[in-house]
Parts: sequence; structure tokens; C-alpha cells
Amino acid sequence: MGVLPALYPRELLWAHDILPAEIWDPPGELNRANAHLQPTICPVVKRSLEFMLATSDIVNTGYLIPHTCDSLQNLATLTKDLIRIHPPIRTFYNPKGPFTQNSEAFYRQQLKGFEQALAAEFGPLNPEKLTAACELSQRMDTVKQQLARHRSRDELQLSNRNYFRLIRAGEFMVPEEYIALLEDTISSRQNPMGSRIKIMVSGILPPDDELLELLDATDVVICAEDLLCGNRRVPLDQVDLTDDPLRFITDRTFSLPPCSTKANSLQERAVYLNKLAVDAEAHGILFNLVKFCEPELFDHQALVKHFKQCGYPALSIETELGSRNQAQLLTRLEAFLEMLSQDRAV
Amino acid sequence: MPNYCFAGVDVGSLSTDVVLIDETGTSLSEIVVATGVDGSTAARKAFETALETAGLKEAEVKSVTATGYGRRTVDFASQHTTEISCHGLGAHLLFPNTGTVIDIGGQDSKVISVDSKGRMLDFAMNDKCAAGTGRFLEVMAQRLELSITDFSDPINVQGEGVQISSTCTVFAESEVISLLTKRIPRQQIINGLQRSIVSRIWSMITTVGLEAEVTLTGGVALNQGLVKVLEERVRSRLNIPANPQTVGALGAAHMARRRSGSV
Amino acid sequence: MSVLANSRYYFMKDLGAPALMKLQELGKRRRRTESTVFGPALKTNKRLKQLLSRHYYLARFAPKNKPIAWVTSGAPVELLRVFGFYTIYPENHSALVGARKSGSELCSIAEEAGFSQDLCSYARIDMGHMLSGKTPAGKLPKPDLLFCSNNICQTVLYWYKAMAYHYDIPLLILDAPFVAEEQSEADIQYLASQMEDLIPQLERFTGKIFDAIEFESILTRSKETSLTWRAVLETMQAKPAPMTIFDAFGHLAPVVSLRGLPVAYDYYQLLLEELEDRVAKGIGGIRNEKHRLIWDNIAVWYQVRYLATFFAERGMNFVTATYTNAWAETTGYLDPKDPFKSMAKTYGQIILNKHLQYRLDLMKHMIRSFRVSGMVMHSTRSCKPYSVGQYDLRKRLAKDLDLPSVIIDADIADDRIWSESQVLTRLEAFCENLDGADHA
Repeated sequence: MGVLPALYPRELLWAHDILPAEIWDPPGELNRANAHLQPTICPVVKRSLEFMLATSDIVNTGYLIPHTCDSLQNLATLTKDLIRIHPPIRTFYNPKGPFTQNSEAFYRQQLKGFEQALAAEFGPLNPEKLTAACELSQRMDTVKQQLARHRSRDELQLSNRNYFRLIRAGEFMVPEEYIALLEDTISSRQNPMGSRIKIMVSGILPPDDELLELLDATDVVICAEDLLCGNRRVPLDQVDLTDDPLRFITDRTFSLPPCSTKANSLQERAVYLNKLAVDAEAHGILFNLVKFCEPELFDHQALVKHFKQCGYPALSIETELGSRNQAQLLTRLEAFLEMLSQDRAV
Repeated sequence: MPNYCFAGVDVGSLSTDVVLIDETGTSLSEIVVATGVDGSTAARKAFETALETAGLKEAEVKSVTATGYGRRTVDFASQHTTEISCHGLGAHLLFPNTGTVIDIGGQDSKVISVDSKGRMLDFAMNDKCAAGTGRFLEVMAQRLELSITDFSDPINVQGEGVQISSTCTVFAESEVISLLTKRIPRQQIINGLQRSIVSRIWSMITTVGLEAEVTLTGGVALNQGLVKVLEERVRSRLNIPANPQTVGALGAAHMARRRSGSV
Repeated sequence: MSVLANSRYYFMKDLGAPALMKLQELGKRRRRTESTVFGPALKTNKRLKQLLSRHYYLARFAPKNKPIAWVTSGAPVELLRVFGFYTIYPENHSALVGARKSGSELCSIAEEAGFSQDLCSYARIDMGHMLSGKTPAGKLPKPDLLFCSNNICQTVLYWYKAMAYHYDIPLLILDAPFVAEEQSEADIQYLASQMEDLIPQLERFTGKIFDAIEFESILTRSKETSLTWRAVLETMQAKPAPMTIFDAFGHLAPVVSLRGLPVAYDYYQLLLEELEDRVAKGIGGIRNEKHRLIWDNIAVWYQVRYLATFFAERGMNFVTATYTNAWAETTGYLDPKDPFKSMAKTYGQIILNKHLQYRLDLMKHMIRSFRVSGMVMHSTRSCKPYSVGQYDLRKRLAKDLDLPSVIIDADIADDRIWSESQVLTRLEAFCENLDGADHA
């Protein structure tokens, strides 16, 4: 099942033997999407729509479009109610507010409702499968947490490009296989060669390939990430498994790191990013903003200001996803790296 | 006669500049040529001319640093550094109390804050569109049927200018056309346009923060009208180099010198 | 709350402000020229001006006397009214700024501080004000508390988060689940329980005890106000419609910002009376009503006059809009005797929080009942929930109802976003189309 950004109860899908295939930035030219969406809509939504229209006859298990922001919200109803693409569209509302008795109760209802919808389509749920799915989910979180720790210590022998390829492979791989791949990567870790320039990145998606190549060429490592497609979906600590799978899924959802798409205060986000930077010993932070992404652009102003006031180097880059030949952007990144290496120079 | 020298090569989209300095950091020659279609060739030509002017041979050049848009095409350079670092350093060398550098080039503009050693603290670039660059001025001067010199006359920025609301060069041009049709005096339009450019720059200044002294580099520094408006906005005199265009190459030459351990 | 500040506020409210308004009136030399395209100006316009001027004027004196809350337009303000908050609506303020063409200035301030120009202009204007204190409304009191519901969009949540951080004040959120099909029991329960939980929080904040009886009467007043607003809008079903939608955009302000207060209800009664009178006498908002149109999306606040004139000159009147209707549409659910659940239904189902099929059906209903023969859609990057889906709504209405329409690209409050030649070309083509359809 195609799943659009960002948060969704994967355990329920796994329990029904459904493999989520996450759709973030499908490549290709935009043709059909422009007939339905204004030019000022973010490329994640545009590209997703393009993909959905282009594959309308092929994808028959349809899509899940979780509620993340205004544009995705409307994309769901647009494709379902107005364009009426052939494959079915399902939605799932993620509560935006903080964890309270109300939001917890509501979320449980959402899970139950979603589960019933899945059962109606794909057959009754085997409770053992759901328990197994939660265990798998916990295992995956643990491995991802380990991966992030080793990356922060620069112990993984992976270029930036390959590191993010690895992160994003989880978007379509069978979970057990993905866990094996991650464990494999972790087991081949080594102590860092020397100390090199480390930066952390915050945003929705990782920087474009061209920028990652530049970082690799200049021996700079992205040691920590606060990406919605990545660690913003990995709980900060281990979530306990109980005999109530819905409890696990709920607890897990509410223990995810702060994100611009939710009601997390800017204070929370600043504290979180600070800690991430300190723990990973990052020399600077790169904000990778997707053009027209409202939640990110709103939070960004205060976060950049916060870092700059602390005298911490910060660079902001705006991406339209899939652009090539970005000489100016590369120059900016280069200048930022020159800035970071000034203090280390002879 | 110096034993050896260092070269800075700045390959911009419009012009390519080379600055040669000796081991003490004294400038030996400064050459500016048009980049044309091939930055690599222009760089070589400018380099050779600079050597000739200084009476030196290539073997006497210890190190070359290339900067600017086409820096990677300079095959005889041993280092590539962004024009941001180079402008920052260049401005600092010419005006050691520089805190903020404003560079308005042909195709882009930037604001750089530097420390007391000429190192970058922060920067902002306008690299997405022509508004706030020399290109904007060219387009507008042409539309008003004026030479850049006449356009830049400081007399044109006296008093109030007409408000140009478009943030985009293309739309601003349309706006200018419609203002001309409404018979708004050219002087008021020029005034408005100069202020409009300064607004773009001001945005970058607020991002980076304003620290005295302020040094203006890039070809547009010769636009006296703009300088006047900018000085009003930043509320201080601006340091303007004698050769504002070659500041990047100067910075690059000094980078080459520093890197080779000759400092 | 000091006694002195208290007395000063009430003095200003009951005596000072009205006196000032009167003086201002006398001071103005009114040159009333008869318009050739518009009908006579509504007498109630004067009252609207008074009401809003007074509201913003009094805001300056409110600080020490009452707690100040800044509120989103879709939030259940009744919860704050019962605790005596003085409320300010940043969206209303931004619309005002936009109408004065001061939007660009405040937006620039926000942009210089690092807010992207791609963000909603209401928010940028608000940020610009937050950072500089500048406003054509004189002075806005600093908020003590923020109250935000995302039933109109998610952007307000991001915006209010930024405000909460800047002002370092509490932010109360009412999370309204998007209605993708039908509003579920879980949705209602979630909304109701969130609102119930706000009560003890507000009690702690204000030091007042929740008065359930007072709350019921506030809700009743709110409901009656909204229903009166609905009646006001329905007068435009008459041919000719007694006012234009551009008038209605202005008259919208009290039901948004003063809802729950007696003054808003009285205002709409006055307006309704005048409109019913005009209907009876056949007085139209424009002189020569040849075509009746529907407007979609928020107004282009800085070009209301321009657009109103353009259409009036061509005998075209906007008799309905999805925007103005939003504060009347779900009022029927409100039941003061079952406050929280009914508020959950009322506030959780406003148009922007519901799927596009609902919007399409609603638009069709409005087109039919208001006898509309054309549509203008305003498309703006400032409002994604409104704008995303417009292209297809337009196509469906063209297909199902044979409705001629046009989309114009502009903005709600950033006056820099206006390409006159582009807009004019599109509108003229649309008008030719409409007129041509007549002769077909």
C-alpha cells in the first residue's frame, strides 16, 4: 500500500501482511499534477499526486494518506472525492496536540477504526500477528536508535550519500529484511579514522544528492539527523511492550521527537535540537527546507535565530526536490563548510 | 625583485579578475577581462596578462587559488575557495576594521559578517533571482534609456522615490513601463529602483546582522546613487575600495599565500 | 486588577469611546456622491465602523482590566467569553491591515526577521506587528494567552506556536480532526473533552469559577447572532440582492470577532432590518444586476474596492460566497443545553475542516438557491485549505452545472501580490464569456 508522509500505525499494516511503500519524492517530470495543483504547492505533494495519477491503473491496493499538514490533507480528499482516482484512498488523523487523556483516548479510537477498515478490506486480524508486529516495531526502533548513536560517533563506514540511502531504504523494504540490513551495517562499524567536520541536518528529507556528494568530497560527515522521513519517527527511548498492542502503538506515537507538524512548542524543539547537536558533537546545523513547506518554514525562523544567538553556525537551504545543477546552493554549502573549518585551520 | 608570488583568480559570470601579490602581501598587478563563454580560457588569459604586467613568469607563482562561479574550471589553481570567503578576506585586508561586507555583483549579491581576522562569521546570499544585483540595474537603465553612469548619478536619489512594489525583476520592469506610461518623472523612478535594490540588500543585512565598519565590494559599488541610499539605510559611511571589482581575487591571492605557510 | 484601570476601562467603554466617535463624525466633511453603479450605501455601514473602531480603541485600555486573549477565527470563543477575556483576532487585524494596503510593510518586517515570503500573509503581517509594534489600528494589547483551533487550517497552529514562543505565554489548542467522510463519535468526544478540560485551565488562569448558566446564555447569544447572520446572507437570494458580497466581507467582522457579545447580535438585527427593507423596496447592492456570481476563498482585502467596482460596472453582483457562509453554516448544531457535544459538532464541521465532496455539494446548493450564473475563484498561496482543490472544484461545477468561472491569482493581505494586467485580462475574458452565454 502506498503511504504518504508521515506518521501512520505501521504495526496495523504489518499485522495484515501489508507492506507500506512510503512515497515521499517520486522522481520524474511533473505533467498531470499541474492541472490540479497551484505552482505554490510543495513538491512532496505535487510529486505524490503525479505518481498517483501516473500509476492509477497499476496500484490497486491503494493509498494511505495520514493527516500531516494542510496540503496533504487536501490532497487526500482531492484524489478521493474530486479526481476520484481508481485505487482506494484511506486517511488517518494524527492528533496534533500534546499527550493527554483525551488525545490518547482519541488515538486509540482512531487505531480501532483503522483496524476495522483494514479488516473489512483485507480480512480479520489475527491478534498474534499484531503482537508480533509490535515486537517487530520495537526491534526496528531499537536498531535505528543504535544506528543513530554509531553515526553520531562517526563509526559507520558510510558516505553521507549511502547513509541516507540506507535510511530511506526502510521506506519500501520488508521490515525483517530492513532490520537485518541495519544490523549488518552496525556490525561492520569501526572507530573513526580521525576527527572530521561533523554537521547535523534538520528538515523533512535529506539534502539533495549533489549536496551530499559535495559533503562526501570534502570529507564532512552528517553525524545526526532530525528528519521527518528519518529520526523524527524514531522514539527517543524504548517503548514498553504490554499485552495491549494498541497501548504500545499509542505510547510509541506519543514518544516521538518534537516535530514542526505537531503542537510541540518551539522551546521543546530548540532543546531537542540542542541536545542532538551536543551529543553528536556537531560543528554546525544544516536546515534543509522543502520549498513551500509551511510547518518547517514557520518553525525555522525561531530555530535558526536560537542557534545563531548561541553562536552556533547554521545554514538554511531550500530544495525543490530533484533539481540539478544547483551551483549557487553548492557555493553556499561550500562557504558554510569553509566557515566551519576556519577554526580548525593552521 | 620578489622571489615568488601568489595568484588569486576570480572567474565570475561576467568578468574574470586576477590579482598577483608577493610574499609580503603587496599587490603586484590586477587584471580584469571579460569572461565570455569560456571561463577557463579567460582565466588563463587574465593570468598571463597579470604575470606580464608584473614582469614575472609562471614558475615564480608559488600557489594559485581560484574563486567565483567558474572556479572549478581554472585548471592551474591548486585550491578552490568560495567567493564568500574571498570577499570577506579581501575586504578585511583593504579595510581592517570591516565588520560587514556587502558585495553586489553582476549576477548575485551577498552580505558577509567577518571577525577581526577577516574570517567569516555568517553570510547571506541572494542567489535565486536578479533583483538586488547589477543585472537588475542594467535591465532598468536600459528600460529607462539611460547609461549606467547616468542612472547611478546621486542626484537621482534625492527626495522621495516612487514605490516599486514588485520583488521580481521581470515584474518590476513591467511596473516601470506602466509608471512611464503614467508620466511619472524618470528621476522618481530611478530613485524608487535604487531604493528597491537596497531593500533586497537590507533583508540580507538583517539576516546576518550589521557590524561596523561596512565595506561595499563588487562592480555596483561604483553606483554612487545606490551608495548614497545604502549609507542612509545603514546609517554610516561605507568603505569603498579603489577597485571594488577585484576584491574577491585579492582575497583569493591572500588565501593562497596563507595556505602555503608564508604568513 | 487596579480599581483605577477598571474605572478607566468602563469610562472609555460607556462614555469616552462613544463621545470620541461623535467628535470624529462631526469633524469629517462627508461628500456623499451618488454612485452610478452601486446602490445607495447601507446606513448600517456607519454602525460597523463605530463598532470596530470602538473595539480596537478599547483594546488599548483593556490590559490591566481584563485578561487578553488572541484567538483564531474558528475557535469556540464562548469558552473565553464566560471568563471575561478581552479578545483580539489577529486574522481580523491582518485583514484590516491588508485593506489599508499596509500589508506589504508589515510582511517586509517579518521577512527581514527570517519568515519566508511563501507563508500565509495574515501570519506574516501578525509577525511583522509582533516584532515592530506597528499597526494602523493604533496599538494592539499584548496577549496574556493564545487560543487556537486548527479547524480552519493547520497553519494557525504553526503561527500561534511561533507567537507563544515570542511572547512566552500559554497556548491553548483545540485540535479538530479533519472530517474525511462523516464526523465520528470519536471526533465529537475528542473535541468535547478537550473543551471540557479547558475549563479548569481557564479557571486557574483567571481565578474565576466557571459559570455554567452564564455560559449557556453566551452560547444562546452566539447562536442567535450566527442565525441572524445567516438570515442577513439569505436576503441576498432576492433579486436584486440588497448588498454585494464585498459589503458582506466587511459585515462579517462582528460575527467573527464579537460573537457572544450582545453588541454583535444587536448589530445584525439592525443590518437585517435594513436589508429586508431594501428587499421589499427592490433596492439592489448594485444598480443594474444582470449577472449573479459566487465568490470562492477569502477576499483580496487590498483590492475590494477595485474588484467591486469592476464587477458593478458590468452589472455583476456577487450574491454569495463560501467564506461569509462559514460563520452561519454549522450554527444549527449548536445546542446551549448540551454545550460541549454540540460545540464539537458546530466547530468541528466548518467547511474548511471537511472533505471536498461536501464543499462541492454545498457550493452547488448555494449556486442553485442564490440563482448564480458564474463564479470567481480567488487562488492564494496564503490559504492552502481553500486553494488546494480549487482547480477540480471548478471543473466539476463547469461539468455538472455548466457554470462559467475564472480563477484569479492574488493574495489575502499582501498588496505586493497583484498583477493588474494579468487579473484584468482574465476577468474581462470571463465577463465576455458570461455576456456571450446570454446571447447564446
